[in-house]
Amino acid sequence: MMILTQTLKMLTTVKRWLGKKLMVICLLPMALAGLPAHADSQINAATEVITKMIGEVEAYLATDSGDVAKRTQNIAQLFDTHFDLEGIARFSAGPYWRAATDQERITYIQTMRDVMVGTVVRNFDQLSGLNFTTIDSQAKGEKMVLVRGTFNDATGKRPPVSVGWRVITPSAAPAKVLDVEIENISMLVTQKQENIAIIRKNEGRFSALIEAMKERRQSR
Amino acid sequence: MFASPENIARKARLLPLMAMIVVAACSSVPETERTDQRDPYEASNRKAFAFNMAVDTHLLEPAASSYRKLMPMAGRRAIDNHVDWTGLPATTFNSTLQGRFENAGLSAIHFTINSLTLGLIDLTENPKAVKEQDFGQTLASFDVPEGNYLMVPLLGPNTSRSLTGRIVDGVTNPMSFLKAGSSIGTMQSLRTPVAVVAQRANLFEPFNDVKYNSLDPYARTRSLYYQGRAGRINAKIGKPTDNRTTDDQFESFLENPK
Repeated sequence: MMILTQTLKMLTTVKRWLGKKLMVICLLPMALAGLPAHADSQINAATEVITKMIGEVEAYLATDSGDVAKRTQNIAQLFDTHFDLEGIARFSAGPYWRAATDQERITYIQTMRDVMVGTVVRNFDQLSGLNFTTIDSQAKGEKMVLVRGTFNDATGKRPPVSVGWRVITPSAAPAKVLDVEIENISMLVTQKQENIAIIRKNEGRFSALIEAMKERRQSR
Repeated sequence: MFASPENIARKARLLPLMAMIVVAACSSVPETERTDQRDPYEASNRKAFAFNMAVDTHLLEPAASSYRKLMPMAGRRAIDNHVDWTGLPATTFNSTLQGRFENAGLSAIHFTINSLTLGLIDLTENPKAVKEQDFGQTLASFDVPEGNYLMVPLLGPNTSRSLTGRIVDGVTNPMSFLKAGSSIGTMQSLRTPVAVVAQRANLFEPFNDVKYNSLDPYARTRSLYYQGRAGRINAKIGKPTDNRTTDDQFESFLENPK
């Protein structure tokens, strides 16, 4: 009788254990299947935004007449559509973003956008003849994808340049570009370190960075 | 009246020693006043940077500009090939020290084959097969700490570790033992100044962009140096550097974007 009771207890424990295991065994593939699906959709969204953006730049280049105002309008639209301007501003301001006032933040985003647009417009002719080829895209965590590729000069005069686009891929918003890496050097990290140096040289005043940016923009 | 190439070369070899003396004379900036924690000698580094920029404005930039205009592409390629070739013994030496014997063998073979043309014409099938290695990377592979950031007059940005590497590479390179006087010796004497001008010409636009368009060219140069160096060490040795990698910075930003 005692042996029977113990056997029954043991069977119940095994059943419970198996039940949990079975649940895990059943749920695990579903969970695992969900992960690559998420990663795939992340990668697709990121690759798509880069392809679309490059297509738009190529269209601008094809119809470009050298009109600076038109170039500025096109590039500004490109930044507004495909770049995470607020994310870029937050990252590039480093720890000083928290200390900045709302007005300073707005002014900084606007000034930074104008500086970036101005830089691309000034160097717009250099983009002519370049073809972008995607090499691969890899998820960097759940919120970002690095789309790597190469810019090749159709004339062969300039050596190929390796470029990486860091694209943020939020689940409830469109994918947007956060950073551009050229030959493994992050433009955003460089900008952040330069910005922090300027703010620290000016006793932590965030407004000093905005003033320096405006001054630089006007001097060009 | 003018110094001979041999004299220039002799003086050039003293540069690292002079650089070390300059560095030793640097005074440390308190942590709270630094714009980057890796740069304790920022005040004197900024002075050295200003000096280097003045040298660039008056000598290097005009020389590089003329070089770009006057030197045909074939000539530029030959000079770049020769400069790469003279660096191969250092790659062989350092790859051996790092236990990367395949790279050591490849660089030795490339050096031997291209010595037929003094490196001016690359006769190998795939010049990019050899991964350039310096003693700074060897030290990194031995986990030697990176040390502080140093802007060295005429030599540019370094860390204590990479500067040590440059000195060791200069001393151990068999090309530096060539006696002046022969045509090869004269070529050897002219190599450093020509290589510097060629490199400045190859990076003409990006260098000028940093120099003329940055808000703080010194800080931008420092950031570019650290990222470039970290990239080289990570890619070619496969070990993390002493600095936080770019991926880490983005990961931590995305975790807490506020």
